[in-house]
Amino acid sequence: MENNPGIYNNLVEILSGELKTILFNIPMEYKKKIEEIRIRNGKPLMISCGGKEYMITKRSEVNMDASSAFIVNESHIQSTFQIITNYSPYAYLEEISKGYITIGGGHRVGIGGKVIYGAKGIENIKNISSLNIRVAREVLGVSNKLIPYLIDSSKLFINTLIISAPQCGKTTLLRDIVRNLSNGNYRNQSYKLSVIDERSELAGMYKGTPQNEIGIRTDVLDGCLKSDGIIMAIRSLSPDIIAVDEIGGEKDIESIQEALRAGIRLIATIHGDSFREVNEKPSMRRLFEDKVFGRYILLDRSKGVGTIGEIRDRSGNIIEFEKR
Amino acid sequence: MGLLKILSAFCIFITSSAIGFSYGQTFSLRFENLLYLEHCIKILETEIVYGATPLPEALANVKKKGKPRVSFIFDDIRRDLISNKREAIYHSFLTVEEKLHHRLHLKKEDIEIFFSLGRVLGSSDREDQSKIFKIVLAQLEGQLDEAKLEKNQNAKLYRSLGIITGLGIIILLI
Repeated sequence: MENNPGIYNNLVEILSGELKTILFNIPMEYKKKIEEIRIRNGKPLMISCGGKEYMITKRSEVNMDASSAFIVNESHIQSTFQIITNYSPYAYLEEISKGYITIGGGHRVGIGGKVIYGAKGIENIKNISSLNIRVAREVLGVSNKLIPYLIDSSKLFINTLIISAPQCGKTTLLRDIVRNLSNGNYRNQSYKLSVIDERSELAGMYKGTPQNEIGIRTDVLDGCLKSDGIIMAIRSLSPDIIAVDEIGGEKDIESIQEALRAGIRLIATIHGDSFREVNEKPSMRRLFEDKVFGRYILLDRSKGVGTIGEIRDRSGNIIEFEKR
Repeated sequence: MGLLKILSAFCIFITSSAIGFSYGQTFSLRFENLLYLEHCIKILETEIVYGATPLPEALANVKKKGKPRVSFIFDDIRRDLISNKREAIYHSFLTVEEKLHHRLHLKKEDIEIFFSLGRVLGSSDREDQSKIFKIVLAQLEGQLDEAKLEKNQNAKLYRSLGIITGLGIIILLI
């Protein structure tokens, strides 16, 4: 999956002067594949591309040699943090206390530093020591071939679980499935969707506007716990399908069962390297025993990020699928 | 010849009085502008502490709600902050120093108090920001008292001095 370099160029605009210049001038091939930008106090400037880490030199050269890398200092981090928070950390305290800020374009900036606890739990992060900018990768059309496998003959959506290791593109795939279902791109069959976007990754909400294309019939509960969001969506948004990212907690499963009882269909993602590994997770056992999911999509990196490894049916049998 | 003398004397009187008035007026202006500045800072406090409005938006709102004679300063800071992507808002505060001094007739001490707000504005949580606003407003209150006293003492004095000097020159010339 490749990014539009324009998205990357817009993203580096938020960085402080020197970092911006250095990262702006890296070779195009890396701009297209970039996944993360790592800024750590007193450490080399790094990027992640295609699952590998690279160092950046002062002349914007990309290599794996830490000795020639550009070293980030405290003022780079401070000024970048100021620009990211719009010079207003006080306005982003709720997000900061969760450990990240979503910025324009739907990119997420993870924050490392001194965590301050108060009466209500984590209140703030001070003395920021590192920033991890995760580049939002919106790949429109990545799920087009997949949609026919997710809708049954009576035009009902089949409950689907996307299984993948980290950084294999499961959120990107989920987002595109949501877009396709919401817009009715397959046989004009559209659905009302509620997205429970606990980590603001799916819709990439920024000031109340989704930064990613999530379709015209999609409602978003942003920053909401999955367990709470599912119940809220059932009560108030009357969705046909609920979409959630990274399920696994006991409470998530209880809420999912509640949604299924209400006749709502589900699409979810989960961390896992294989179908068997996920099958054996204690919290998931109930859902597997009840054969809740009719489709399991397994992602891998065999042909690059977002490769669909296999599709399984309700009983776990592999369905023939044309791999990309 | 007599008419020319009267005309000259009149010109001297008007000029001298105008200089006296204008100098005396700077004390009144400083007091008024400090008062408006205090009002603007209170608006900014409300935006940040109670509204959690992001700083650029908060500064724009101060420009809209405050007295234009002073509130333009906040918009200048906002524009500088956004267009130059400053590392800290304090650098944007520094760019309005000349205007504070020459257009608003503020003293070095007044400007320093305003800049002390710029050093910490937006950098901490709302509780901290609230404390900072209280300190700055209390310091400005002190400057206001001093400016009022100075205005009462000096504004009248310089106005009278202008008139008296004018009259003195006319008497000497005649």
